[in-house]
Amino acid sequence: MLVRWLLAVALVVAPLCVRAADPLPAQIDKLIEAAAGGPVSPAASDAEFLRRIYLDVVGRIPTVDEARSFLNDKSADKRAKLIDKLFASGEFPRRMEELLNQMLMERRGEDAEWQKFLAWAADTNQPWDAIARAILDPDADSEQVRGAAYFITNRLSKVGQQDTDYPGLTRDVGRMFMGVDLQCAQCHNHLFVDDYKQVDFQGLYTVFLNTAIRTDVKYPAVTEKLMTKKIDFQSVFDKQPMTVGPRVPMAKELMIPVFAKGEEYTVVPDPKKKVLGVPKFSPLETIAKDLATAENRAFAENLANRLWYFAMGRGLVHPLDLRHSGNKPSHPELLKLLTDEVIARKFDMKSVLKDLVLTKTYQRTSVRQSSETLAEDRYRVAIEKPVWAEQLLWSTLTAVGTGKSDTDPRKTANVADLRKKFLTAFANPAKEPEIDFAPSVKAALFVMNDSTILSWLEPASENLVARLVALKDEKQIADEVYLAVLSREPTDDERKDIAEFVKKAGTDETKKAKTLGMLAWALLSSTEFCLNH
Amino acid sequence: MSTLQYAGESSLCSPHEHAVSRRQLLGATASGAGLGLLSQPALAEAMKQKEKQVLFVWIDGAMSQLESWDPKPNTQFGGPFRAIPTSVPGLHFSELLPRTAKQAHHLTIVRNLCTKDNAHSSGVDRIQRGDPKPRGPVYPYFGSAVAKLLGGGPSGLPPYVWIKPMSGGFVYKDAGFMGPKYGALAFGDAKPPENLLRNERISNEEDLLRNELRAKLNERYKQRHEAKNVEANSFVYDVAQELMKRQDLFDESKISAKDKERYGTHELGRHMLMGRRMLEAGVRFVKVNTYGWDTHGDNFNGHASLVPRFDQAFAAIIEDLAAAGMLENVLVIAMSEFGRTPRINGHIGRDHWPEAWSLAMAGTGLKHGHVHGKTNAQGTWVSGEEHDIGAMFHTWFSCLGIDSKKTMYDNNGQPLPLAHDDMFPVKDVLA
Repeated sequence: MLVRWLLAVALVVAPLCVRAADPLPAQIDKLIEAAAGGPVSPAASDAEFLRRIYLDVVGRIPTVDEARSFLNDKSADKRAKLIDKLFASGEFPRRMEELLNQMLMERRGEDAEWQKFLAWAADTNQPWDAIARAILDPDADSEQVRGAAYFITNRLSKVGQQDTDYPGLTRDVGRMFMGVDLQCAQCHNHLFVDDYKQVDFQGLYTVFLNTAIRTDVKYPAVTEKLMTKKIDFQSVFDKQPMTVGPRVPMAKELMIPVFAKGEEYTVVPDPKKKVLGVPKFSPLETIAKDLATAENRAFAENLANRLWYFAMGRGLVHPLDLRHSGNKPSHPELLKLLTDEVIARKFDMKSVLKDLVLTKTYQRTSVRQSSETLAEDRYRVAIEKPVWAEQLLWSTLTAVGTGKSDTDPRKTANVADLRKKFLTAFANPAKEPEIDFAPSVKAALFVMNDSTILSWLEPASENLVARLVALKDEKQIADEVYLAVLSREPTDDERKDIAEFVKKAGTDETKKAKTLGMLAWALLSSTEFCLNH
Repeated sequence: MSTLQYAGESSLCSPHEHAVSRRQLLGATASGAGLGLLSQPALAEAMKQKEKQVLFVWIDGAMSQLESWDPKPNTQFGGPFRAIPTSVPGLHFSELLPRTAKQAHHLTIVRNLCTKDNAHSSGVDRIQRGDPKPRGPVYPYFGSAVAKLLGGGPSGLPPYVWIKPMSGGFVYKDAGFMGPKYGALAFGDAKPPENLLRNERISNEEDLLRNELRAKLNERYKQRHEAKNVEANSFVYDVAQELMKRQDLFDESKISAKDKERYGTHELGRHMLMGRRMLEAGVRFVKVNTYGWDTHGDNFNGHASLVPRFDQAFAAIIEDLAAAGMLENVLVIAMSEFGRTPRINGHIGRDHWPEAWSLAMAGTGLKHGHVHGKTNAQGTWVSGEEHDIGAMFHTWFSCLGIDSKKTMYDNNGQPLPLAHDDMFPVKDVLA
């Protein structure tokens, strides 16, 4: 009986087996479809794909011209060509930079040196392991990368009378580089997650407890004290005394080397001359090497999971920072495949992302085909992702602008002020990870009443509303505003909505301009605009 | 346990209550006749309005229980102030609370608080989060908890509003693990939030038109996609529009000169009056905040200037809520993060003392004119039964009709008790 059952299973599964010879996107699609548990939705329309790929790869919607040229292109490989073009454009590194900043800093603050480091890392397509090592073991001597220390110094800076947040830094390193949130394991083994032991937290914690912010330089920099012994800790429950030295979570503890007295330093500290000591043994250096490496499967798997999340809107392991044996990946085989690829491609994020957006899974429509409730983690329909604060700014500027190709909204005048405004209105508060769509009253009030936004909706030179004013009939107006703001044609119903709205203005020129501004506003404030669908 | 209720009177039905409700009836029926009461729109509206609300008065820095709810005159640590009788026979307050003393028959005083934290930075948090057992997730402040458990209600206004000195904004941290949307909308110095006022480029009519179109486009999108995102986004626009409609709440000219005088023109008076207007507008949870009570030096002059302002504003709002019949559905709480030391330090100040302190409450679900618990003769320690903040959270939830022993939070699948699971409601204060 059992044998027959097994045979039946084998017969069903066999034709679905992924052939290693397939290119990565095809392998991914096979695995997703095999586990879909029902029919998958058709491919996204060209317009849907177009908007999605622009938002994901360059961080903004396409201009009217860019949209027209793609939608009118009749060639069969136009999607692949556009993907190539966008990944090769100068805007892709800027998008990468924003993505890394958003993920790593969670809106904790801004720093010019940090920005310089991220810009360089994005421009030169630095692999993730190199970025992680630069952050975990910052090199103050290299002007190019020293800003990476801001990841640590921002978290260690004093806030009011609170204690220096070494636990918070420890937690974030676990979350962001290994996908494990060890917060609950600071004081005891995690109560619900068997894999998270107190020693996992404490081993990393000892490394950061041994660090301090350097005050002798203006840029973010970290110094380490001499580490000579393990730290003591005990569980709040059983109070058993334990010790641990530097240790990457779930890995082997590192030995603390013993030096003869007087031999511990490469630079001997001299408080009188304000010379900081440099111990021969750097726990940061050893931990960085031990953590950010292909040998550490968790490190690679975390990256694979996060890249998947960036593209698809949900982690294969979800929440992203709860990787553990009790929280199984939705597609174990796929996670293994992606992790292997990440390692084989030496942590090249661009290359993996490019393959992800080439998949049918990525290019599926988000339009519901039926009223059936679909589990997100089956990927039968594309997941609607939030449009984050920076993407909203660049997209709004693109929408209300001239509509010409190759206009980079990041080069708008006063861009720093605008960015600040949009972050204040749309970004989550500091330390709140931005994962889910979280609209707020604050943002709604901003969109309704902010003077800058409304000033963009008054006709000026070749901007959107000026173009709309110049158009004769309501159909043309509807088509133009939909293409400019929502990157698609309106449906017939929507054309009727727009015609009805525009007619209210009558023939008065001023009133018409006003009405068309309001029309553009309604599209900009719509839910469709603030979702990457 | 002490009970200082009216001798021979039910706590639900004191002569004061009769006096108040008679005045109310007279007012409401001035143009109508006896039995037609329910057809009176104003009163019918009031009858329907049984939604529970909360007024949470937060006295930051710590009010001294000895200079307020639990005076110990003529004792070693009693300080210079006398105790005065209140409208509840046998119950005395400090002489710094003369107006509140006249409202004592509406109040329930708890004098046996014994809490854990004597630092401001952590104490404020622990008290307002109910100091549950540490489990990792950060618990919501009481305001966020109520916002989540009872929702915004029919007013359409944000559920948790915080009126405070200095800056305002959207304060997310209060919400803890519940996530930003249950945070507080703070009105700094009782002023409206940024971008609340309709931009002058847009007329009211235009505003309605453009939002109507927005809603229509959202409906179109919703037909093709899952509803939840459109619903979430429409919700925040609805709240924002509702707030914009209620700009009158921030219109100073709408306040009567008499009310200004009764509440006081000082900061706390103005803020408490705004609190009343927010409650009247239907906001679920209103926190009114006063700062600067940390009197380590010169405690007595400090309290002589601080307490009368609190007294004036607090007595006025209790009187108004009672007169309007709103105490039937509003829970009022006035408290700090801890009490102050009985011992008077070298700077004639009092330091932090979580070991034995008091709070005042009134309204829905509570006894009236009641005092619960006591401290010893010198006010140094609780005498007999004592309560930590967790017990108060259970009590408040119970007043609001929430069974905190049966209801659980759901933190992404992790069930969490609403309040400290080793503690219970204080039955003696419940009506």
